[in-house]
Amino acid sequence: MKGKLLDLVLVLGGVVMIAPLVWLVVNALSEPIDAFQLPPRWIPRPPTLQNFQQVPDLIPFAQMAWNSLQIAVITTAGALLTSALAAYAFNRLRFPGRDQIFSVLLAALVVPVQLTVVPIFIMMRWLHLVDTTVAIWLPALVNVFGIFFLRQYIASIPRELDEAAIMDGAGHFWILFRVILPLARPGLTALGIFVFEASWNNFFWPYIFLSSPEKMTLPVGLVSLQGAVGGGPAVVLFAAITLVVLPILVLFLIFQRSFIASIASTGLRA
Amino acid sequence: MFHWDLLSTPEFAGLDNFKQLVTDGATVRAVINTFVFALASVVTHIGIGMLLALGVHRTMTRGTKYFVRTAYFFPFLVSWAAVALIWKYVLDPAFGLANYYLSATTNWLASPTLALPTLIVVDWWHTIGYTFIILLAGLQTVPAQLHEAARVDGANAWWRFWSVTLPVMSPTIFFATVITFIGAFQIFDPMVIMTQGGPDGATRSIVQYTYEKGFQSFEVGYAAALSLVLFVVIMIVTGLQFRLSRRWVHQ
Repeated sequence: MKGKLLDLVLVLGGVVMIAPLVWLVVNALSEPIDAFQLPPRWIPRPPTLQNFQQVPDLIPFAQMAWNSLQIAVITTAGALLTSALAAYAFNRLRFPGRDQIFSVLLAALVVPVQLTVVPIFIMMRWLHLVDTTVAIWLPALVNVFGIFFLRQYIASIPRELDEAAIMDGAGHFWILFRVILPLARPGLTALGIFVFEASWNNFFWPYIFLSSPEKMTLPVGLVSLQGAVGGGPAVVLFAAITLVVLPILVLFLIFQRSFIASIASTGLRA
Repeated sequence: MFHWDLLSTPEFAGLDNFKQLVTDGATVRAVINTFVFALASVVTHIGIGMLLALGVHRTMTRGTKYFVRTAYFFPFLVSWAAVALIWKYVLDPAFGLANYYLSATTNWLASPTLALPTLIVVDWWHTIGYTFIILLAGLQTVPAQLHEAARVDGANAWWRFWSVTLPVMSPTIFFATVITFIGAFQIFDPMVIMTQGGPDGATRSIVQYTYEKGFQSFEVGYAAALSLVLFVVIMIVTGLQFRLSRRWVHQ
């Protein structure tokens, strides 16, 4: 009896949690005249896609989606590659100053990105990269957390495997890519999911570096759309938000298991 | 240490920028706001997150468990930009959901006293799923045998939580506390999108003020001094947390 009551409280809480998202989608699917009514409607009647068709009139949505995707893919691929190489070096190679360099890297882990934005902005200006997508992915190619995380992961892989490969005449790259990384797949997946998600949803960095609409990523584009909508129909803004939010939610439902495992193991927070 | 507007030659300023930090009322306000935000964030995330994790870590039907876990986690996947925009409408005084269901006519984001607590609630909505999952994962590492042994010894539920669950989970709680504090202390997105730091600086955060100084009024030296403050505070608080953790975190 007590258990059932607790279940009910948790479920009601869950309903309240997703209510704003349901309200978002319902309004995005409503005719402007039917939207934002009180008492709120929870079923669009009749559902229409016209708001979605209007999004491209106000912002270059497809271009922004492409920018977001491109940045997220390059960032994820780059961060995985550099993290794997560095993690291998810090765990398997011996070189003078290795542990000292690693502790300096660890210190960088607690430095917030907000702290580095001013100097990096100045550097990007020298390089004439402000207001380009390069300014977003270039600094993200090396991910200190990724190095740290993969180093822990690689440390758990037995060294006897490397030694066996060395006997067969394998070099470092062979060992890393053919022996270690295949065994580190769960770690790579966890890290990859997180880097991708963080990049896709990132607002702070693109907001500072990008100013032309055709260079913007989706989160920044949404905020600029808010200005463009002005007094116009907010349903169009809701349609655009839905287009950004829905793919991630659907992806989550499909990959829920690895997603949750990824957070529980990396502890990373966007 | 310099006066620089990004265009002219930087001019050495000595400690001017740091003097300005202490005397600039807006900086003091932003530091206080950020502290209030971060502390409230840690307390509400860890407290309610723990209750949620305990609530879900029981026997319940698979469907219920799936729904509850997914529902609390969903908002964390939504970009802050989208979260802030959705909530601006949810909180709209005229046609928003919040006032309708609370039978209120409050203008949440325009009130000097309510704006910051409102943003704390929105941040909670967005990030609780993360804290919840981390704590739930920690809870699942508590061995059932320990609970059994305590039960055999006649410990009641509360005592079992206090003497078995909490000590075993303490590293997870510690980790969640540190991460929540660091994340909350760097808050920027909801302030910029929902309130622009207003009304009258009531919600301006340190990072937001740094952004305004560095990229809107081009006082780069001053912005750099502000970000140093951010760094020093995070270092000190994190260091303190580690030091205090020796007293309560089970190794």
